[in-house]
Amino acid sequence: MSETRTEAGPRAGAPASVQPVLEVRDLRTHFFTDDGVVKAVNGVSFQVFPGETIGVVGESGCGKSVTALSILRLIPSPPGKIVGGQILYKGKDLVTASEPEMRKIRGNDISMIFQEPMTSLNPVYTCGDQIMEAIRLHQGVSKREARSRAIEMLKLVGIPLPEQRVDEYPHQLSGGMRQRVMIAMALSCHPSVLIADEPTTALDVTIQAQILELLERLQAELGMAIIMITHDLGVVAEVADHVAVMYGGQIQEYADVQTLFDRTTHPYTGGLLASIPKLGESVERLRVIPGAVPNPVDFPPGCTYHPRCHLAIDECAKVEPELLEYDPGHLVRCLRANEVRSGRVSPFPGRVAEQSEAS
Amino acid sequence: MSAEPVTGAGKEPPLLEVTDLVKHFPIRKGLLSRVVGQVRAVDGVSFSLAKGEVLGLVGESGCGKTTTGRSILRLIEPTSGSVKFEGREIVGMPKSELRALRRQMQIIFQDPYSSLNPRLTVGSIIGEAFAIHKTANRKQARENVAELLRFVGLSPDHARRYPHEFSGGQRQRIGVARALAVNPKLIVADEPVSALDVSIQAQILNLLQDLQERLGLTYLFVAHDLSVVEHISDRVAVMYLGKIVELADRVTTYADPRHPYTQALLSAIPVARPGAKKSRIVLKGDVPSPARPPSGCRFHPRCRLADGDRCAREEPALREITPGHWVACHYAEVSALK
Repeated sequence: MSETRTEAGPRAGAPASVQPVLEVRDLRTHFFTDDGVVKAVNGVSFQVFPGETIGVVGESGCGKSVTALSILRLIPSPPGKIVGGQILYKGKDLVTASEPEMRKIRGNDISMIFQEPMTSLNPVYTCGDQIMEAIRLHQGVSKREARSRAIEMLKLVGIPLPEQRVDEYPHQLSGGMRQRVMIAMALSCHPSVLIADEPTTALDVTIQAQILELLERLQAELGMAIIMITHDLGVVAEVADHVAVMYGGQIQEYADVQTLFDRTTHPYTGGLLASIPKLGESVERLRVIPGAVPNPVDFPPGCTYHPRCHLAIDECAKVEPELLEYDPGHLVRCLRANEVRSGRVSPFPGRVAEQSEAS
Repeated sequence: MSAEPVTGAGKEPPLLEVTDLVKHFPIRKGLLSRVVGQVRAVDGVSFSLAKGEVLGLVGESGCGKTTTGRSILRLIEPTSGSVKFEGREIVGMPKSELRALRRQMQIIFQDPYSSLNPRLTVGSIIGEAFAIHKTANRKQARENVAELLRFVGLSPDHARRYPHEFSGGQRQRIGVARALAVNPKLIVADEPVSALDVSIQAQILNLLQDLQERLGLTYLFVAHDLSVVEHISDRVAVMYLGKIVELADRVTTYADPRHPYTQALLSAIPVARPGAKKSRIVLKGDVPSPARPPSGCRFHPRCRLADGDRCAREEPALREITPGHWVACHYAEVSALK
């Protein structure tokens, strides 16, 4: 058997010389609602290294956004609570950090950009005021200095006429420009980790291309790590170095981006890949994942994906699979991963497995 | 311009024929609400749809694709132009006549959460059509609803439930069942899968495709996603700032797009294949306001081929460069990408 058990999560075997800037270990964030306990994040581990981009992919309700909010401790409590695990930022555990400590970290060391730039910018302050707030709070510089830095940031993110835009209000800008202001704000203190929660979902595809290109350029210039949360496998394929595929509050598959697409092993990853219409590839019918994402109050027993899985066997309803490392850096949470890897069954729904030559 | 894009089939008269459709929304200001300008949401759109055909209408937000779809059904009153359904002029048709005609033209909306009345059961939502159009008595209506629910992949028991009890994908199925209740010939699908999760999108696309084949439906499929449109359409029209800039059959649109905007739109789509970075055309700037569209070609300020002279002065006509391939660009003959 090639698999080994991993305690420390994905990429525990990375060279010891490079320290991860952020390490999430067995994170569990639950929401205590009237209907029951929602295990939104249920044992998630990953590491983020300086300058790399990790993509977190999944559909609504898979726990990807709650993971992001947990890292910054922005989970509304009650009803939410981080009930277990560690979030180590440069060795310091953020789960147990005090609120004043967190305030120093947010926006300064770790910052976040959100999906909807209109609702996450304050409509009654100018763009400049909002960027300056972060700079003045964390860097303790004068108002004039903060303003000139804000203008510099606006220039950096490619906003034309930054001296003029700095005094404009969010409603005066287009969606793409607002997202640039958000990025300028998030990067104004040169954070080491940027969490981008669906940063381009609300934007048109040509504007999305602009923003992705911008993030790539800024990452090369500023060297921050990016956690890119998205539902779009196309975006992931383009920007991520490593990918975590989430479903039901857990990572189902983790690998470097090339491996994830070339050696897809988890049937959920396969289902997601099969169900997106691909440009220039005409097919009669799309292959689909049946059913819908389960209600998080009432996850199915065993593997959370088994009711929708084309590879499900009786055991899948009983045994909860563990996230195991099959190749260095390639982790899969599936009882039938070895069969997929040997080619006996296909991770893609509705595609007949190729017969192995041996049989 | 008398020529309008016609389908390749040619023999049968088109099911829907749209000629020079215009919709301007007035901008009002001040105490007396004086009209100070016009938002030219749709500014002279022409196309036709053959029976059983699927036309994809693509563009970014604000390009007028949704307004076009709604103007055709006269859910929005068009400012001018002509919309002919089976040869009958819809623009200016009296309301009573229009209502009868609406039986044959239905719409599926983007947002499955806001397009279903939360106070009505699914049975009433779908069955309402039978009462309005008086096409069935109550008992028949109930049977028809059960049949429709089965048809779209739901269970007849669902008729007694309320919309909030369903997931997004299921609600969209209810929306489809409602549209089908009156046996329409034409369905305007206005971004029917944009609000859904990836795995659910595929389910709904397959459903729409099955229904089209089984019932011989004609779709105007409005979307911003070129890969979704490619999957379902026979022909594709690309809109920019209220105008169609390119119209061609599916294969041509994707293999040999000639309008620089179509090319940019196609190249901007992220491909789910790592390392497949294409030579991307990244457009500069944003879409200009449709209240003040640029002079000449509306795309010229962002265009890689703009010549700084003719493009800024002269508006290019939508012309047929090869049979069935219509492009509104002065340089359509030389714009091909290698």
